[in-house]
Amino acid sequence: MSTTVSAYRHVGQGLPRLDGDEKVRGLAAYADDIPVPDGWYGHVVRSPVSRGRLKKLVFDPAFDWSRVCVVTPADIPGENIVDMIGRDMPFLAHDWIQYKGEPLALIAAPTRALAREAGSFVRAEIEEHPPLLTLRDMIAEYKRDPSALHQLAAQTISKGSVEQGFAAADLVVEGEYWAGHQEQLYIEPQGMVAFPEPDGGVFIQGSLQCPYYIAPELIVTLNLPLEKIRVKQTAVGGAFGGKEEFPTLIAGYCALLALKCRKPVKIIYDRHQDILYTTKRHPVWVRHRTGLTRDGAITAMQVDFVLDGGAYTTLSPVVMYRGILHTTLGYKCPHVFVDGHVYRTNTFPNGAFRGFGAPQAIWALESHIDRCASALGMTPEGFRLRNALHLGDATATGQVLSEPMGTPDVLEKTLARSDFTRKRARCSRGDPSAKKWYGIGLAFFGHGSGFTGDGESRLKAKAALDLELLDDGAPGVNIRISSTEMGQGTFTIMPQIAADGLGLPMARVRCPHPDTKYVPDSGPTVASRTTMVVGSTVFGAAQKLKTLLETYASETYFGGAPAELVDGRFRNRYTTDTQSFDAVARRLIQERGPQRVYNQFQLPPTIKWDQKTFRGDSYPSYSWGCNVAEVEIDPLTLELKVTKITSVWDIGRLINPVLAKGQIEGGLVQALGYAVMEKIGIKDGLYDASRMQTYVVPTALDVPDMIVEFIEYPYTHGAPGAKGVGEIPMDGLAPAIANAVEAATGHRITDLPITPEKLLASRELQAT
Amino acid sequence: MKNLEESIFLEPATLAEALRFQADEATRGLPLAGGTDLMVQWEAGVRMAPSRVLNLKGLAELHGLSVAGGSLVIGAGVTHAMLRRSPLVRQHAPSLAEAAATVGGAQIQALGTIGGSIGNASPAGDLAPSLLVAHADVEVASVRGARRLALSKFLVGYRKLDLAPDELILRFHVPVLPAGASETWRKLGPRAAQAISKVMGSYRGRVENGHIADFAVALGSVAPTAIRLPQTEAWLRGRALNADTLDGAEQRASAEVTPIADIRSTAEYRRWVSGRLVRGFLEHLASL
Repeated sequence: MSTTVSAYRHVGQGLPRLDGDEKVRGLAAYADDIPVPDGWYGHVVRSPVSRGRLKKLVFDPAFDWSRVCVVTPADIPGENIVDMIGRDMPFLAHDWIQYKGEPLALIAAPTRALAREAGSFVRAEIEEHPPLLTLRDMIAEYKRDPSALHQLAAQTISKGSVEQGFAAADLVVEGEYWAGHQEQLYIEPQGMVAFPEPDGGVFIQGSLQCPYYIAPELIVTLNLPLEKIRVKQTAVGGAFGGKEEFPTLIAGYCALLALKCRKPVKIIYDRHQDILYTTKRHPVWVRHRTGLTRDGAITAMQVDFVLDGGAYTTLSPVVMYRGILHTTLGYKCPHVFVDGHVYRTNTFPNGAFRGFGAPQAIWALESHIDRCASALGMTPEGFRLRNALHLGDATATGQVLSEPMGTPDVLEKTLARSDFTRKRARCSRGDPSAKKWYGIGLAFFGHGSGFTGDGESRLKAKAALDLELLDDGAPGVNIRISSTEMGQGTFTIMPQIAADGLGLPMARVRCPHPDTKYVPDSGPTVASRTTMVVGSTVFGAAQKLKTLLETYASETYFGGAPAELVDGRFRNRYTTDTQSFDAVARRLIQERGPQRVYNQFQLPPTIKWDQKTFRGDSYPSYSWGCNVAEVEIDPLTLELKVTKITSVWDIGRLINPVLAKGQIEGGLVQALGYAVMEKIGIKDGLYDASRMQTYVVPTALDVPDMIVEFIEYPYTHGAPGAKGVGEIPMDGLAPAIANAVEAATGHRITDLPITPEKLLASRELQAT
Repeated sequence: MKNLEESIFLEPATLAEALRFQADEATRGLPLAGGTDLMVQWEAGVRMAPSRVLNLKGLAELHGLSVAGGSLVIGAGVTHAMLRRSPLVRQHAPSLAEAAATVGGAQIQALGTIGGSIGNASPAGDLAPSLLVAHADVEVASVRGARRLALSKFLVGYRKLDLAPDELILRFHVPVLPAGASETWRKLGPRAAQAISKVMGSYRGRVENGHIADFAVALGSVAPTAIRLPQTEAWLRGRALNADTLDGAEQRASAEVTPIADIRSTAEYRRWVSGRLVRGFLEHLASL
């Protein structure tokens, strides 16, 4: 791209969110706000057992079934399958049941109460089998005999020879790390409405991240062609990955019912249902073995990375791929072997959640790196500075870092900004005479932007811009992308990018909610890809439309002299003549109708990836971050308070610094919850913390002081040069806190969340 | 599950009318004050909405807050917000004001009442320990008459009170903090605010010439009800306030509680931290 920084008028500005006003005023229409005249409510009848064979569904004749509409597997027009990776999950269980709460039948009724009442008259006859319910049990089995487990996915990464690496080591450091489920706890629970269309199709609206996941995934189930499955995003009250793949299920329930009863059908989960019957972050167990030389070099990294997938495959393989690619990321090491697995437990399938495997990997890695430093008698910062990747170094997959990026710059800057070395000298280390224990800890990490491996080159994200008359009657541009706004700022930064690509003021550019009837497939709103991948595709489309407009203005107004569109006016490059965008675009639309331009994302041809061997360029680019966490622990009660976080980030060019900082700060709070309080176990096959009363997330009073700073190393293969920001703030806070807690108490906690209860148990373990 | 929309709401204008509703099983309603516990339980389906609800909100007789005869007299309808702000409560029962300030968030504090909190009979109810260490009485009434008993006798067991079906909680009599005595409150929850307690408690005590003259301590969430620790208290009485005493009290307090494991904490941590809280209270007493 030849565009220079000076060309940006809106990119780089902290403009307020364009969707802020309607949300603050309560005008935004969420899934439950959509008018559904003559609509019915859907209800899901669920399995009461965790594992077994369904023998029979009995519909009690004591209930008048003519008052409701029922869908059983026999009523599914196409295949009874959720068309995701693995194709192992039925929409409605018909033989094996793999988790408690698995859908058995669907019911729609004119009222929610009637639908639920009908559900209570369905009885399932099930031959029960013993379930596998927890990560602990799964790992115990894995250590005994992994072939006894049901494997959902496996992948290795191999570089050099770890045997050689360990042979060259002076010492080997081992460690095991655990983390449990985490709930997304978006403000707005899942909700969807399906309207049957007169042509036999279905129109689905609701709270979702990825319209082009739902539409194609329902083809085989509904037995409808893609063009008859229309999906539109409503306003979304948060998602965090929880509305990535899961909404296909609830959309399918609504669509199956709507097509059968020929009425609009709506399902809105209440909070209790939403926690019990939607996806969580995958629980993880990681084992590190690291070879080190006395002078602080890493000679070998061997990692086992095992995820609890829940009952079915869903996105678990891809989560595991991102996990294993981040499980050694950031450090130079000639010999690497990573063994990744996902196994089944009989619990709700785990799914996408901000970070997508990377937070689990970095939790283990950055805890273990501190252990390595300590085993060598080195400081945590000294060991990291000695081994951090630089420009020109290669990752575990052999990817050579060929564009300047924030490693090790973010590490150096965070250390300086936090005064880490000086403060570390005064950590308490469990001093019995101290009134408060103080600790400071560090974590350094990268996050791959965009899809893993060749995902982006296979998807070829598309964006369209429509030059047309906007709702105010004047010409302007509608951005047509399938990327969604879910609180992160898509509908603000895309107009910023497009306005700069076009040479128009922001007011002439809109980014409406995506509707598959109007937008091409830009891919899902996931994987920290929207700003980098779709943003650069929109920028390219804007430049194409700008050229089209300038050519028309040149021919129509300037007698062939070149025209340039700047700030909403066309300038004749040879004279002082100008024409307004309004006049030129109006005439163009009158003469030729609305104009649409397309653009498609392209990876640079130098990027190569082998999906079989996991060798090559695993991501188009990387964002980098570094957290320093300071903690205070009360020796009386072992209560833990995180008092300060100092962090520096490289997320490429900042499109909107205010929103970028908001993403980082919000993500750090979510990461704080993961680190020190969010806890959800399995009891009788279901989640034990199934309400906001029991699933505890941080309040404003738990949020520490935060210093968030950026250094910009723009993505070099597409303007305006943003990289990913959405997920990286989730990645590296838990290990920074664990490292700080170790410095404060002398105890390392290796199982998230870090609680007073675990600190007490760890002390008692050491005392015996 | 019964829908709350189908419940009958009784709206007595006076206490006498409320007691008459309660006197007869055919007209009796479930007493509702702030509703901050009941509404959640009904919505969650943990508890069925009752056929009749007795709304206590409008009863002026339940709203007083005054000092009389050496006690704070606190009407059952006094809210957490009033408790935390009242200069009388802050002066005469400061740990009760501190406890009220940690109940839920501002909305809950504005609605929830002291009568409701005690009437809910949860071991995690945050107000009970401060009332117990002050030797508070509760006054209840029915058409049969009024009676007054020690709160420690009123809290019978897990979700169980010494309260007849026709009786309502009227008020609490809380002896004021004696001159020279001190008290405080501490709550351990899973987060900094808006949390249900893992363990919490209060003490009220007095030191004379370096020795413990009086010491009452009560903890919540460590037994079926909020409890005093009579053995620890008896052992402490008259002892010098020194390091050995702190160690001994910590041990004895841990041995005196019978906590369970639940979603908020482990039995081991609750047992250990009970002793630690008592140590902290003695340190607080020593620092004055």
